[in-house]
Amino acid sequence: MRSSSPRRFAYGAAGVLLLLAAWEFAGRSGAAGLTLPALSSVVAMYFDHRLAALLYRSATATAGSALEGLFLGVLLGSGAAFLTHLVAPLRPGLDRLAVTVNAVPAIALGPIFIVMVSRDLTPVLLATIPVFFIIYVAVTSGLRSTPTRLNEMMLTFGAAKLQRLMYVELPYAMPSFLSGVKVSVTSAMIGAIVGEWFGAPTGLGIVILNTMQNFQIPLMWAAVLVTAAISLAGYGIVSLAEVFTVRRFT
Amino acid sequence: MAAIEIRNVSKAFALDGKRSVLALSGVELTVAAGELVALIGPSGCGKSTLLHLVAALDEVSSGSILIDGEPPSVLREKHQLGIAFQEHALLPWLSVEANLALPYKIARRPTDYDHIANVIHLVGLDGFESARPRQLSGGMRQRAAIARSLCLDPKLLLLDEPFGALDAVTRHSMNLELQRIWVQKQITTMLVTHSVEEAVFLADRVVVMSGRPGRVAEVIPIPFARPRDRACTRSEAFHQLADRLTSLLEP
Repeated sequence: MRSSSPRRFAYGAAGVLLLLAAWEFAGRSGAAGLTLPALSSVVAMYFDHRLAALLYRSATATAGSALEGLFLGVLLGSGAAFLTHLVAPLRPGLDRLAVTVNAVPAIALGPIFIVMVSRDLTPVLLATIPVFFIIYVAVTSGLRSTPTRLNEMMLTFGAAKLQRLMYVELPYAMPSFLSGVKVSVTSAMIGAIVGEWFGAPTGLGIVILNTMQNFQIPLMWAAVLVTAAISLAGYGIVSLAEVFTVRRFT
Repeated sequence: MAAIEIRNVSKAFALDGKRSVLALSGVELTVAAGELVALIGPSGCGKSTLLHLVAALDEVSSGSILIDGEPPSVLREKHQLGIAFQEHALLPWLSVEANLALPYKIARRPTDYDHIANVIHLVGLDGFESARPRQLSGGMRQRAAIARSLCLDPKLLLLDEPFGALDAVTRHSMNLELQRIWVQKQITTMLVTHSVEEAVFLADRVVVMSGRPGRVAEVIPIPFARPRDRACTRSEAFHQLADRLTSLLEP
């Protein structure tokens, strides 16, 4: 394992470099048309002070919305999951509600939120919905993943429902919860960007939309790359937390 | 110490809407205070079901189970029930000591670390207080689980195949240890086992069950004086009893 690890890293790095080189070549030759600029001309956008400032401002707005949505969704999703876990009769109803909310396409909800709440909050709310659903499913199934023998052990020691939740079910649900959060990061970014399309004041979604309409192709690609980078960074951070928790709780 | 009265107990499990399977039928058994009773019988004869009923993990379909004149759930809610299963049921993220502290937390009592140290010593796990379950061998995990079941000085101990997953040598030394612990504590105990030798070695009485539906076929008293040692297991009388029990298990 120790000897193959650097080698695998080298293969991986070589693969990425090859892909980037292919992109650069395809962009310069113009083989893929005008809409695929060379990588170098996309990267050049980041060195233009005015554009870099625009991208930075937009990125913080979008990441902020996504983060708020993620936070709200995690809070609501786990709250609902705990509720159904402790009050069993609520379960079928909340299950159906979660599925129904998730089945409505975000695109259809956007205008409703704009009318009902505000342009600024729509990205946050559209990020919240998918996160709520993912976390609700992850936590409810995580809480039920406790092995029977552990539940029976807790029962025979005379543990109350809340004690079982605290001492056994919650720790057992942690890995499932964190893999839920991991998937949620991307969903929150998608929600935030789609939410911005309905007319948020700033954000990467706005930049992507405007550059597309004005045919500023390199800037559009630059904004898309920033979006991808934020998603991947969030995914990476949560993955790291997941590794540590799984090590702690198994 | 608790005395158990099992009166005409039947247990049926529903298969689907209409059909059900009878796991236990008309089981009669009394266990005196401070007695160790072993349950043996073919697979699926309802030994574990009976133990689950005594632990109030399931409800009888008919008949009654009384522990000191009260339903089993009363003993459980007083935190006076100790239990150990074939699989150890230790919490993997807690040290041995923290696992043993769990019953105190559940009972909302202050954790008595001196008593925990005593119990750890009793099961021979000195020096492993801060080890996690996965750092222990199978036999040591079972010791930790038995230690945990003893923490709150239970009135009734239920052991469901506690050494079933261990190799023969470890199993035999665990039997010696369990007897040593039991002689010190004299807790009323019901032990479910597949091993006839284990039953004869540990029990005051062996209850032989027959299957489909599960019922008590025979109750055999074991006359050997305690503490029993390895020499006892090699005696002629031990082998005769074991052979008799084995023949009772054959269909």
